[in-house]
Amino acid sequence: MIKLENIRKTYRTQSVETLALDNINLEVGPGEFVSVMGPSGCGKSTLLNIIGLLDEPDQGLLQLEGNLITGYPDKKTARLRNRMVGFIFQSFHLIKELNVYDNVELPLIYRKMPAGERKKRVIEALEQVSLSNRMHHYPSQLSGGQCQRTAIARALAGKPAIILADEPTGNLDSTVGKEVMNILTDLNKSGTTIVMVTHDELLAKATHRIIRLFDGRLVG
Amino acid sequence: MFKNYLRTFWKIASQNRLFTFLSLFGISLTIMFVMILSMTVNKVVKGSGPEKNLKHILTTGRLKVRTQEKGGNEVFSQIERYVGEDYLKKIKSAEHISMFYSYTWEFLRNGIQYTTGFMVTDAEFWEVFDFEFVQGKPYTNDDLRTQTNLAVITEGLKEMFFGDVDTVLGKTIRFHDYLLTVWGVVKDVPPTSQNLLSGLFFPYALFPAEKPNPRSFSPYSGPYTIAFKANSRKEFSAIRRDVQSVIQRIDAADPKLALVLAGPNTQMENLLAVHDPEDQEGPSAKSRKYLLWGTIFLLLPIVNLMALNFARIRERGEEIAIRKSFGASSATLRSQFIFENILLTLIGGLLGVLLSFLVVALLGNTLSIPVKAGTTVPMSFSFDFLVFGIALGVCLLFGLLSGVLPAIRMARMKPVKYLKGGEI
Repeated sequence: MIKLENIRKTYRTQSVETLALDNINLEVGPGEFVSVMGPSGCGKSTLLNIIGLLDEPDQGLLQLEGNLITGYPDKKTARLRNRMVGFIFQSFHLIKELNVYDNVELPLIYRKMPAGERKKRVIEALEQVSLSNRMHHYPSQLSGGQCQRTAIARALAGKPAIILADEPTGNLDSTVGKEVMNILTDLNKSGTTIVMVTHDELLAKATHRIIRLFDGRLVG
Repeated sequence: MFKNYLRTFWKIASQNRLFTFLSLFGISLTIMFVMILSMTVNKVVKGSGPEKNLKHILTTGRLKVRTQEKGGNEVFSQIERYVGEDYLKKIKSAEHISMFYSYTWEFLRNGIQYTTGFMVTDAEFWEVFDFEFVQGKPYTNDDLRTQTNLAVITEGLKEMFFGDVDTVLGKTIRFHDYLLTVWGVVKDVPPTSQNLLSGLFFPYALFPAEKPNPRSFSPYSGPYTIAFKANSRKEFSAIRRDVQSVIQRIDAADPKLALVLAGPNTQMENLLAVHDPEDQEGPSAKSRKYLLWGTIFLLLPIVNLMALNFARIRERGEEIAIRKSFGASSATLRSQFIFENILLTLIGGLLGVLLSFLVVALLGNTLSIPVKAGTTVPMSFSFDFLVFGIALGVCLLFGLLSGVLPAIRMARMKPVKYLKGGEI
């Protein structure tokens, strides 16, 4: 499903070069629920961004569902990202100018799906996260938990094979966090591969496998 | 997709009111100026009232007469009467040919000083130009064979001269030493006309034909403009060829003087002073100059809007990153941004068009704009497909030029920087 070989990534500013990931070798099988842990700045988000094709490694190989991702033009990368990956972010990253329905519809629009099919999928995804009664609300009118559930609905509306969740419960209280985790667990049970960055040992323990990063290296 | 773009555009436009106001202000003001200028020039070029068929009319430009010897003298003027009568009016390629000249006329009436125009014409003048007669009729060549002191007046002059009376036909008007009988009354000439004046019209046959003075510098120079009316614009080249061939014939027959006649020109060519022998710059230099000023005029608001757009990119970084994360390619984002920008400029353009109508309606009679060196005409209303096309074209140019570079930069942005604050 996901395969990383000798991935290395550095960030350069004018005076400093920071090694974000160093020689990462990792495989995530289909249907796995993997959590990534480590201290702040250890490269967890960079790892997720590289798997999600939002960033490119300086060296190494990445395979997603057997596709070797290398030097793809922007359009092809965008299409792969749209079809294969769904993102859930710690700070939700909903478009504040769009209502819940339009936010969830976003990946389907870029997939050029017919309007009728889009509507069906959006409603289905919103029902899955119990938010169909809030579809005309704007992000500013929602609680944190509702925002994250909207973000989850957006990630799963396109039925991607992989969901990448970057601290999805980080901005939520423990009760709402548990709800979100339950939704992710259900999703995984239905066959979706999930890679989740978290600082929460309890949440991590609920996943199939924990990957630990330290200073850009896999340590366990 | 467009519904999504529209919704985003509307929300962003209504949330960033200062940006929207500044953008719309710049665009609508520019479009307003473009509209007023193009409507007025369009009115002048297209003609109205008696010049409603101006697109089928050519008029002679200036005549340059120069002594043949090196370092000789030269004079610029219009054409002398006999050159028109004996040569140019005999050209066969035009449907109607008229010769005329105009000046201003000041007169006292009931102790009040009036200023109006007068035009000295032939009978064909009424065939070339489409005056609307409210009383009487035009003087014809048949009329002029028996009587030459006939006059046609405009409604404005009728009011000045005779006050509020119904019919003035047969009444007389004193013009210097001549007592003219009113033969017809026509509607006033629009102030945008470049060939005609409102006031008094009478035949040049009133004045006896004189032989050219052999002692004058140029026997060809006089006050007359010749207008050629064609059935269609296709005949223009034949008319031009025939006119130039007549001038060359006169030129060849005169060993002392060299003649160059500009045109005959369309109204647009007259405005641009194309082929004017007095014009040192020449038509291409003139066109370049107009193009340069036009470009500067349009470039300033485009640069202004572009700067605003660049400033806004940062504000929209998160939105762009989200869209990229969920499958928008750089090309899609570029088109979204350009779409939004064109929509904004079209709204600005629409406001500009409405503003221009308002300004012309309120101030059209008091404000004039220069249409060529030394000539101003009142701002005028003339909205047609051409003017609409110019406004739309300028709007699209605005939208594209001010949107493309910011859109390219926006689409190139790395989403990682804006997701989770760029943290590693």
